[in-house]
Amino acid sequence: MKSSQDRIQSSGDFFDLLQRSGYRLHSHLENAGAGERTILPQATTVLAFHYKDGVLMAGDRRATAGNSIMYERCEKVIPIDDYSLMAIAGVPATAFEMARILSHNFEYFRRSQMQPMSTEGKIRALSKLLKDNVGMALQGVGAVSPILTTYDLRTQKPLIYFYDILGAEFQVNTHSATGSGSPMIRGIMEHENLWGKKPLAELSEMDAIKLAIRLLQTAAQFDSATGHARPKDKLFPVIAKVTKDGYHFFPEKEMTELFKKSMSRG
Amino acid sequence: MSMFEEPFRWMEAISTRHSYVREKLQSGQPVIAVPYQDGALILSFSPQPGKIFEVYDRIAMGGMGHPADVERLRMTLLDMAHLEGFNRSSQDVNIARMLQFGIAPSLKQNFEEIMRAPYLIKLLLLELDRNGHPNFFRLNYDGYWETLKNGGAIAGDEKVMAWIDKKIEETPFATFPLEKALVKACKLWQEGKQQAVSDEDKNGDDPAAPITLKEAFEKWTLEAGVLCAQTKRKSIYRKIDAGEIEKLKTAVL
Repeated sequence: MKSSQDRIQSSGDFFDLLQRSGYRLHSHLENAGAGERTILPQATTVLAFHYKDGVLMAGDRRATAGNSIMYERCEKVIPIDDYSLMAIAGVPATAFEMARILSHNFEYFRRSQMQPMSTEGKIRALSKLLKDNVGMALQGVGAVSPILTTYDLRTQKPLIYFYDILGAEFQVNTHSATGSGSPMIRGIMEHENLWGKKPLAELSEMDAIKLAIRLLQTAAQFDSATGHARPKDKLFPVIAKVTKDGYHFFPEKEMTELFKKSMSRG
Repeated sequence: MSMFEEPFRWMEAISTRHSYVREKLQSGQPVIAVPYQDGALILSFSPQPGKIFEVYDRIAMGGMGHPADVERLRMTLLDMAHLEGFNRSSQDVNIARMLQFGIAPSLKQNFEEIMRAPYLIKLLLLELDRNGHPNFFRLNYDGYWETLKNGGAIAGDEKVMAWIDKKIEETPFATFPLEKALVKACKLWQEGKQQAVSDEDKNGDDPAAPITLKEAFEKWTLEAGVLCAQTKRKSIYRKIDAGEIEKLKTAVL
């Protein structure tokens, strides 16, 4: 009880509460001097784009360490609150930790202050975590390059933000991708948006899902660190949407059919 | 000479402290928590919102007493729940652990340190466990807490509280749909307030305080929330919305 008794008011900042309880996001490694080589986020493809009903977010499932495939069922699109998803590329330990902090941060703020955190506040909260992680990122052991998607209840609009590893945030009105496979598909997304049958923002949900699956299969074709889907093993990319009703992940039983449809021409 | 050297003076001070807190809480308005077929419901009427709160993914609370003290304990519960949920898992967060190992011992110690201001509160806590089963708890200002099997109430007037508790026990709330549980709980709120022996007691320190549902809906705000097992969200608490309150008003008035 002491911590609350001694405080007159709460800022609603969960990260502040964590630090007061002795927590550190990063270890003392940051004081060991800069690494000889900065390793930028690799070994993933995650993407997000606006479609007719909101934002579609997708990610492959592979986790690697150097040339080794460590895990084929990694969840790289993570729920943060009812209206927000974070897609991660980079060092998984740091990325998952950031997602957990962020998730608790939004919920702690909403419950303690009895109002949801503003969208600007949510965007900034991730930026702050990345900034606090710069030391680790520059030493090549903790770089994270996320995409954050959220539905702004005030303006009734879905939003996509991507970040650099230093914490700068960038809003995108069309599409974004990050991770080692992203260079292979960014051009496709831009091409589809400009010269496809419809701009991405006008795609139906089904067309958006098909495109997302095809993009990830394409990335996997050219990037060894991005995993292919394996329908026989019921291994599919993670596909989720954020709309006015909140987030929704397409379950495995639906993915079997969706993947099949996506792999046929047309 | 310090009163700590004289046990009788310390006991007398504690006794006086009990009397002081009970007197301060006397006008506290009832808060009622009951099960319903999809989860658990908590409600209360108050001049301004600030009695019913979400604590964690599957936990809610109602408070009565001094708003500043309710707020301090609310924040303590929030801090404990979120730190535990972060450091371990949301599955490790439950009311019994927070009361037994956190709030209750500190509250008791605070109450018996007679140079410190006592907490002027009673809290009613509820949760849905992982099997969807509702659990109810009542916490007293001195750290004493108890589990309530089928729901319960807090109120400044002990007679009112005991009467509502008894009626809740006799009513099969767990079989009711939400609309029916809301209606019945509201009626218990009204009938409970009638149990005070005199008009003065009915309203405590505030003669203008409503004693009927009609007055309560006109003058005050109904605060109500549910923990619903049917939601797909991680946080299963939601407030009863304006449309549901309008339907409730029509049903009870």
